[in-house]
Amino acid sequence: MPSPTLNDLAARLIATEATDADYHEILDILVALANDPALPEGVRALMGDALIQWTAAPHEARERVANDLQQIVVAAQNRLDLRDRLATMLGADEDAPIPTRSRVPTPVATVVTITAVATEVVTASGAAAALLPADADLSLLPDFIAESRELLEHAEAALLALELDPDNAEAVNTIFRAFHTIKGTSAFLSLDYVTEFAHHAETILSRVRDREIRCVGGYADLALRSCDMIRELLDATQDAVEGRGETIPTGYDELLDVVRDPETNGISERGGAASVARATAARADAGSLPDESAAPRDTLPGVGGGASVAGGHRRAGAAAEPTVRVRTERLDRLIEMVGELVIAESMISQDPIVRQGGHLDLNRKISHAEKIVRELQDLSMAMRMVPLKGPFQKVARLVRDLASRSGKRVEFVAEGEDTEIDRNMVDFLGDPLVHMVRNSVDHGIEPTDERRAAGKPEVGRVRLSAYHASGNVVVEMSDDGRGLDRDRIVRKAMQQGLIASAEGLSDKDVHDLIFAPGFSTAETVTDVSGRGVGMDVVRRNIEALRGRVEIQSRAGQGTTFIVRLPLTLAITDGMLVRVGSERYIVPTINIHLSFRPPRTALSTVAGKGETVMLRDQVMPLVRLHRVFGVQDAVEDPTAALLMVVGDGTQRTALLVDELLGQQQVVAKSLGNGIGRVSAISGGAILGDGRVGLILDVNELLTLARFGEADEHLHSIARAVA
Amino acid sequence: MFMSTATATPTIPRLARAGKYLTFYLASEEYGVEILKVHEIIGMLPITRVPRTPTFVRGVINLRGKVIPIIDLRERFGMRQDGAEETCIIVVQVRGIQLGVVVDKVSEVLNIAEGDIEPTPSFGVEVNTEYLLGLAKSEGRVRLLLDIDRVLSASEADAVQVVPTDDARTPASA
Repeated sequence: MPSPTLNDLAARLIATEATDADYHEILDILVALANDPALPEGVRALMGDALIQWTAAPHEARERVANDLQQIVVAAQNRLDLRDRLATMLGADEDAPIPTRSRVPTPVATVVTITAVATEVVTASGAAAALLPADADLSLLPDFIAESRELLEHAEAALLALELDPDNAEAVNTIFRAFHTIKGTSAFLSLDYVTEFAHHAETILSRVRDREIRCVGGYADLALRSCDMIRELLDATQDAVEGRGETIPTGYDELLDVVRDPETNGISERGGAASVARATAARADAGSLPDESAAPRDTLPGVGGGASVAGGHRRAGAAAEPTVRVRTERLDRLIEMVGELVIAESMISQDPIVRQGGHLDLNRKISHAEKIVRELQDLSMAMRMVPLKGPFQKVARLVRDLASRSGKRVEFVAEGEDTEIDRNMVDFLGDPLVHMVRNSVDHGIEPTDERRAAGKPEVGRVRLSAYHASGNVVVEMSDDGRGLDRDRIVRKAMQQGLIASAEGLSDKDVHDLIFAPGFSTAETVTDVSGRGVGMDVVRRNIEALRGRVEIQSRAGQGTTFIVRLPLTLAITDGMLVRVGSERYIVPTINIHLSFRPPRTALSTVAGKGETVMLRDQVMPLVRLHRVFGVQDAVEDPTAALLMVVGDGTQRTALLVDELLGQQQVVAKSLGNGIGRVSAISGGAILGDGRVGLILDVNELLTLARFGEADEHLHSIARAVA
Repeated sequence: MFMSTATATPTIPRLARAGKYLTFYLASEEYGVEILKVHEIIGMLPITRVPRTPTFVRGVINLRGKVIPIIDLRERFGMRQDGAEETCIIVVQVRGIQLGVVVDKVSEVLNIAEGDIEPTPSFGVEVNTEYLLGLAKSEGRVRLLLDIDRVLSASEADAVQVVPTDDARTPASA
């Protein structure tokens, strides 16, 4: 056969039927191409891989493999085309002879037009690199990126499961499929960097699939790092699509070298983290990677509690129900409209004409409509709910990395990862989870010898669980480590001037100190308290979601973070309160109780600071009407009502005129026109069609406490206006 | 003097002043706002006061399920509040921000030619003219053409920061 070209191959692949004659012809072409010295090394390697795929393909799967091969061919053609162009640009001083390609008018011709420009794949030489081909189809890329990210998530979960159960064939297939699909699609889109990387990662997986190697130790590390790298490439691609410049992730070449030939780079089933670390040392977060003395790979328990992780992930690969991708913007709009419908409906059913007119028939129709509307509301809410599986998997990965970095032995148990939560909240939950798990693994779990000395099991345990409780989602993260060190926290807090003394502080109060912003962000704290790095982030994010976080800790026995979140952000359970002629909505989650104080319970401090005593507990009294400048409010607390808000000993009594009732409201922003308003988290349309303002209780309390500095700013603002 | 479209900055080129204006009254003064910026005109609605905002922010209203802020132009311009009539709200949309402006009376839609627009004279520090595109003369009357972008961007700026940026404040070239 006179030296075939890639185009010949492409044409054959397209025309291929599952006959043996076709099979052998393609085999011949592949062999010829793989050995063709006129082709560049990379293309020949691609052909070699294709050859392996083709020969290994069972008869009935040949058509499918042919499709895969087509994508390899396109990738190879792109590369050749690129060589041609480069050669023209550089005046043909390439060392290898440029293969001449006959452009046969085959059906492939249309595919061939998808060419890369100046996208040199092997960038070791530092040649001008571009992530995106010049003629990239920008409309396809976002879908590709989103899809690939999802695939990577599945792959990562499967990888973690695989490490615990190396014989899990389904997990291998999940990972393989992920890399394979990414490779194919990226080749189609001429994203050569992604293609190249995914290709080699896939090769490793195919070896795992063929039971040549086992995906443990160094290979598992490598596979995970490959996931990271592809993710970084996707991020970079997205940046490029959005016009924020094209940067190849650092460490790409190094990692690619390792992936391309793992054994030469010291990767084996036994450990091998060292060489990966070396190879990826150039990465931005190099400092946080394991060094040569990193823990051996067996930091993860063989079976043990890992069973639940594996159990959860095995399902991930299973066939999912058919779904439709919808733009979140549309979904949000729909949910918003349903919210409106709910309000409009209640306005009708509350209308005096309807309620008092004795129109039985009308009432029946309205209550029928009401039922439908409620169901619609439930349904639309459910549309936005996603299981917590995603963030939980990230934590699983993080536990693994943190443990191997610190040389500790930690097992991770996840429970209730099918618990659903508003999609919008999942993103916010990521950060707090990261910080909490860092605390647990870095500081909570003791090193192995310390655990042994304390008579604990050598393998530490981090448990992440989620469940529904009384209309909230509860996420708990617990460890069986050393627990919070009260003395250290107190010492540090006193040093930082957060507290004067620890007198009268309950353990809970002390634990709460680690959430103080100053306490945790100061760099000097990191090695002292052991807890609290970034913990202010945890509280801030959780509170931004109108949730609460609390800590339970016992010295020597471990720490548990309990996060309570509302089911959804879109609907707030609120208490409508009246202050003078104004009304406000106080999120129910903030309210502990409300009471009308007896005269004797009231007292003042220094003639100004008001306090109220409730069940032997003295708390400050904040007059909402004063903070908000309401003129016609009730001044006398005994004629009004006090709402107890805040948590722990931070409880505060908020003075309002009266409670108007509890209701669910759809939270909305106040519009961009007035920016951020202190102590108000948003607005909601009330039953009478007017806007009610939703209080941000924590901000309100801060404002009441430190109001003057803020008030000063406002007076300046007014003066300027 | 001609600004090419390629160099168009967020501030509106002065040449774009000619066009259709919706005019309205604040007390006895007649103002004009570019018709393209006007989203709709609605009757007065109950306004919910928002505490701790600048005084020119009257509050927020429910515009068919959307919460939008309401600006008091008289307060914004430091005009006297003499038992104002306040008959309606003009909803304007500028750079994606929807915002209502309380006015006493909507007057008419006018076609104003560039030649009829005079640059805003200076009144010294007493009168703030930075929100004006110019003065339009027609039918023997003077209408004050509002640079609604500036009214809005300034109100935004005030809500988050005290000092307005000055690069958007270059005086109109005569």
